[in-house]
Amino acid sequence: MTIVETRAKRGDAADGALGGRLSRIDGPAKITGLADYALEHHPQGMVHAVLVESAIASGRVVSIDANAAERAPGVLLVMTPDNALPIKSATDWLNTPPSDAPYEPLARSITFAGQHIAAVIAETFEQATAAAALVKVYYEEAPAIAGLDDPKAGDGMPLDRMTIEWGDAHGALANAPIRIKHEYRTPREYNVPIEPHGLIAEWKGDRLTVWEPSQWIDGMARTYAEWFDIPFENVELRSPYIGGGFGSKALALEHGAIAINAARMLGRPVKLAVTRAQTFTAYGGRPATRQTIELGATRDGKLVSIVQTGANETSMKAVQVEPLGSVTSIMYATPNFSSRQNVVPVNTVKPGALRAPGENPSAFGIECAIDELAYEVGIDPVQIRLLNYAEEDPHARKPWSTRRLREAYAAGAEAFGWSARQPKPRSMREGNQLIGYGVAAGTYPVRRTPGEALVRILGDGSVEVASSGIDMGQGTYTILAQTAAEAIGVPVEKVRVKLGDSSLPRAPVAGGSQFANLITGAVHKAALAARDELIGLAINDPNSPFRDLQANTLIVENGVISSPRDTGAGVGIAEIMQRTGRERIEALRDTLPENLRNEKDHFRNFTTITTMLSPTDGDYSLHSWCVHFVEVRVDADFGTVRVARMVSALDSGRLYNPKLAESQWKGGIIMGIGQALLEEGIVDARNGRVMNNNLGDYLVPTNADIPDLKVISVGIPDTHASVLGGKAVGELGIVGVAPAIANAVYHATGVRVRDLPITMDKLT
Amino acid sequence: MRDFSYVRAATIDEALSAAAMPATMLLAGGTTLIDLAKCGVAEPERVVDISHLKGLDGVRIDGKAATIGALARMSRVAEDPAIKGEFPAISEALWQAASAQIRNMATIGGNLLQRTRCAYFRDPATFPNCNKRNPGSGCAALTGVNRSHAVLGGSSACIATYPGDLAVALTAFDALVHLGDRQVPVDDFFLLPGARPDKEHAMRPGEIITAISVPASPAARRSTFLKVRDRQSYEFAAASAAVGIELGGDGRTITDIRIALGGIATKPWRARAVEDALRGTAFEHDAIKEASRLAVEGAIDHGANHYKIELAPRVVERAILKIGAAA
Amino acid sequence: MFFGLLLVERPAALGTYCHQNGVKTPMTNQISLNLDINGKSRQVTVEARVTLLDALREHLELTGTKKGCDHGQCGACTVHVDGERVLSCLTLAAQVEGSTINTIEGLSAPGDALHPVQAAFLEHDAFQCGYCTPGQIMSAVACIREGHAGSDDEIREYMSGNLCRCGAYPHIVDAVREAAKELS
Repeated sequence: MTIVETRAKRGDAADGALGGRLSRIDGPAKITGLADYALEHHPQGMVHAVLVESAIASGRVVSIDANAAERAPGVLLVMTPDNALPIKSATDWLNTPPSDAPYEPLARSITFAGQHIAAVIAETFEQATAAAALVKVYYEEAPAIAGLDDPKAGDGMPLDRMTIEWGDAHGALANAPIRIKHEYRTPREYNVPIEPHGLIAEWKGDRLTVWEPSQWIDGMARTYAEWFDIPFENVELRSPYIGGGFGSKALALEHGAIAINAARMLGRPVKLAVTRAQTFTAYGGRPATRQTIELGATRDGKLVSIVQTGANETSMKAVQVEPLGSVTSIMYATPNFSSRQNVVPVNTVKPGALRAPGENPSAFGIECAIDELAYEVGIDPVQIRLLNYAEEDPHARKPWSTRRLREAYAAGAEAFGWSARQPKPRSMREGNQLIGYGVAAGTYPVRRTPGEALVRILGDGSVEVASSGIDMGQGTYTILAQTAAEAIGVPVEKVRVKLGDSSLPRAPVAGGSQFANLITGAVHKAALAARDELIGLAINDPNSPFRDLQANTLIVENGVISSPRDTGAGVGIAEIMQRTGRERIEALRDTLPENLRNEKDHFRNFTTITTMLSPTDGDYSLHSWCVHFVEVRVDADFGTVRVARMVSALDSGRLYNPKLAESQWKGGIIMGIGQALLEEGIVDARNGRVMNNNLGDYLVPTNADIPDLKVISVGIPDTHASVLGGKAVGELGIVGVAPAIANAVYHATGVRVRDLPITMDKLT
Repeated sequence: MRDFSYVRAATIDEALSAAAMPATMLLAGGTTLIDLAKCGVAEPERVVDISHLKGLDGVRIDGKAATIGALARMSRVAEDPAIKGEFPAISEALWQAASAQIRNMATIGGNLLQRTRCAYFRDPATFPNCNKRNPGSGCAALTGVNRSHAVLGGSSACIATYPGDLAVALTAFDALVHLGDRQVPVDDFFLLPGARPDKEHAMRPGEIITAISVPASPAARRSTFLKVRDRQSYEFAAASAAVGIELGGDGRTITDIRIALGGIATKPWRARAVEDALRGTAFEHDAIKEASRLAVEGAIDHGANHYKIELAPRVVERAILKIGAAA
Repeated sequence: MFFGLLLVERPAALGTYCHQNGVKTPMTNQISLNLDINGKSRQVTVEARVTLLDALREHLELTGTKKGCDHGQCGACTVHVDGERVLSCLTLAAQVEGSTINTIEGLSAPGDALHPVQAAFLEHDAFQCGYCTPGQIMSAVACIREGHAGSDDEIREYMSGNLCRCGAYPHIVDAVREAAKELS
């Protein structure tokens, strides 16, 4: 076990190797303001687009009066469904073939408040904004379903494919000596990257350049190519820096089509910056969920049955599932299990992916429920979790590849001082503050898609790594430099990494916490191939001092090739390249299986998710694991909850760069604190409008809300999970935070809050 | 934002004549005006920048009163040693408001005139009906999302909460708002919404705030500002209380007490009933708790904001106990 | 902030016109400014309503200052005006003519050593996506200069005007604490 200290090491040469605590190599650009985010380009002649959105949640646009807007200063175009050039439908990310009907990013038929219905393009941003306010829209309004709680919403549609069952869950529950049953709810939550969405689109003939923050360059480029009926190669999508995504920047969205279409219609580059208010409706965050969990147990706390029924809201037009059984079905050993799920269509934008979709609300349910069972039978909350520990995947019936969850409980409890907990609720107090300790576990699956990367060794001895994959803060630039440096044997300073451009070798989506593992695997493979070729040069070239030595007798270290048998100082890579007259060694490698190594499947691999392996494809069940220990302080009079301290022990397998992995874990934990205590999209039931569509009212944590956080890595390399031994990192940290806090609040106050967020009005 | 022209006022007289001009708005720190112009709530055709006027940003304090220039920045006043010493509640109200950046921009005069955070008021594009923006058009908040709305001082036309902190402290200590030569007690400066929620203060056309003065008193010297909110920082109050207290020579008789509340009413809310109940009595927890309940006499909730009726008296009680114990 | 709010309903008085693409188009109010930014004098002609943030990003090629909310609710646009941290999204460009403006690009000259706050942010990994970072750093420099970095809790409170969704807060506190020590 490694205890990861927050303080970084400084100036250690080992930092450059994989596993070292190298500072971000993209850091200097970010801290000096020189990193060029998408909306910071200024192609010649650029104009500005501003969206006009629906004020009603349901109905249709009868007419749009654009006269005043068109006459306003600087206005070039008011785009409506009536004058927009047609766009084709595109293949979706599941590889569903497109329909023959055109794609209409500006709506006539309204299914949610905030839907784009027109766009105003003007010479300046200010002119476009002012003119957008002059567009008059006449509607025919229909009754709307505002959300999951709307009586008109009903129970929704059952999704049989989400059903998970074994044993006789209902029978066993009926006969269980201890039964508990509660409903748990999570509200609509939003991604809120600090960089809002948007893009700049520029056409040159039938070639399209798009600057846009993207978690999936190739997936979005494909959509753009299909929408505008041009070859994939004609789209250049650039996204070297992304100001946060958290799941929201993976797919091409309506505003992208609108901006690109405007650029096509006007023959000028168009910039469209989604306003902060529009980020609440231009795409969806996590849908609201509700779930009922029934636990049946023996009197000593051993589970005999889990019965879960859940639902999440979705939009009127599409089914988005937030899988509520994902953690419930694997966290604990139970002989009988049933999980069923509905989706409930409401008048909202289609919900999307927000950090650990499924696992996050799923863990909120089961990790609160198991805590309630612990109090019911009078067992310590850590003990009841160990008592019901799943030794293998109870759903897939496969062994875990690695599951260092026991180690996580032990390390976390020790570092937290869990033994000081008084068992009774409301038994710990300091002045006006009620003190509570809470614990909860979390998990996130290891998903796997084959990758691809290009590695070059250049004549000057430096190394280049290239991929269209992206870095939105996870540390891709840095860990790829470390991977290549270690595999080839050069100092990390000698490695340059190019990312985020569709002209580079393809990459799958940076989502589902899969990307670091697959891209390091591909870079590792390409780097070794480049190294092999370098050594081949050194051996085979008549000019080389290593001529005729065996390949496996040479080593490359710190940029120098040498033979251990030779007492000489060795020869630098640049010198070998020079002697052999080579300008570069280039290795493009992928990790695709043989059956996918054709052009069509190669393209499919990088532009859809159809080749992604599930965590249980194979002999093992692959997951990351974590445990959070929380101390809350609840004001006895006001009901305000503050997280006083937190210790989390996490198993993400091998960490490629612990400094950056800790940052991601903590980032997830902090988002979890926001989810537990602050975040909730509030909708006006009368018109479906998101009323707190700004950062002053949709509250995300500030610095003052966050105590010092201790994170402990308990992982070990897991080569079943990935080539280099890593498991999921980015989405793991948030899972289990909200239930740990809810459990701590119960311990502090004796009040069980089962609907997030836990605000003061629920505790007084 | 609507197109407007920009001019700088070079003198107070220029500012005054600008204030009397139609479709003209005065710009000081900008934290309200520019924000509301972007929301489409403020639509000036002419913006007159008064932030560069000389002589309106001083903080002067003598034995009788503090006089704060209308253009003094919030951060400057919050950090002023004399304000901290003589009026701790004012300093605390200021540094707990907004963020460090906004406090460096926003002026004292502008702070008083900040507009409500009612989401319906701030969204004219979606909600044309708002009596504050457009008298007689209706109020969407009454039956809408109103967890942050007022439980005191509301009317059938408006329940928008006055959002500020500073004005709460000023109300507790009987500050005067200087409108040039005219001075108006702060409690009279802010108007209840009644049937005309668009009329928020007692300013006459062509008047501007030039200064605030606050009488010194033992209660002001022994004072505090307590702010309760969902988020730890950078948020408006769910409920707040400015409390000052003077204890008699025996160290336990309350000889003077000043209480005002924020976050729960349509204007800064002086809790005179609580003051009257406690003045002359012994400083004693049960009596304070009992009296604090009077702070929300007559409160009316609209469902989601019911918790404020429970919360506000507890905030008052805690603030009194805190300041009384700090002897 | 506005004093003496007096709004009178009347049609817009747009008397001036220009010719654009051969069409007679009404013009908006323009203003020519001379701004002192990062020690350099910069001339720019913009609409009067243009904020300092948009002037920097759209007209002066200083894109290090970020737009996160455009309403004073996130702090990403923090710059220094006359040495004090302010929000450029709620400041008109016209308002700061005659003032000294400093942005992230002026904190350390290219090629020179990093400012101690920048160095501490890098060392402590006080950012991930980097988008809120220029604002955090400009805020941190001011926070230290104001004397508000005396304790971790004080740093937390006085850095709370800068939201970070990646969740770098504990590392930001570490970085500010260390930089404050170095700068004292």
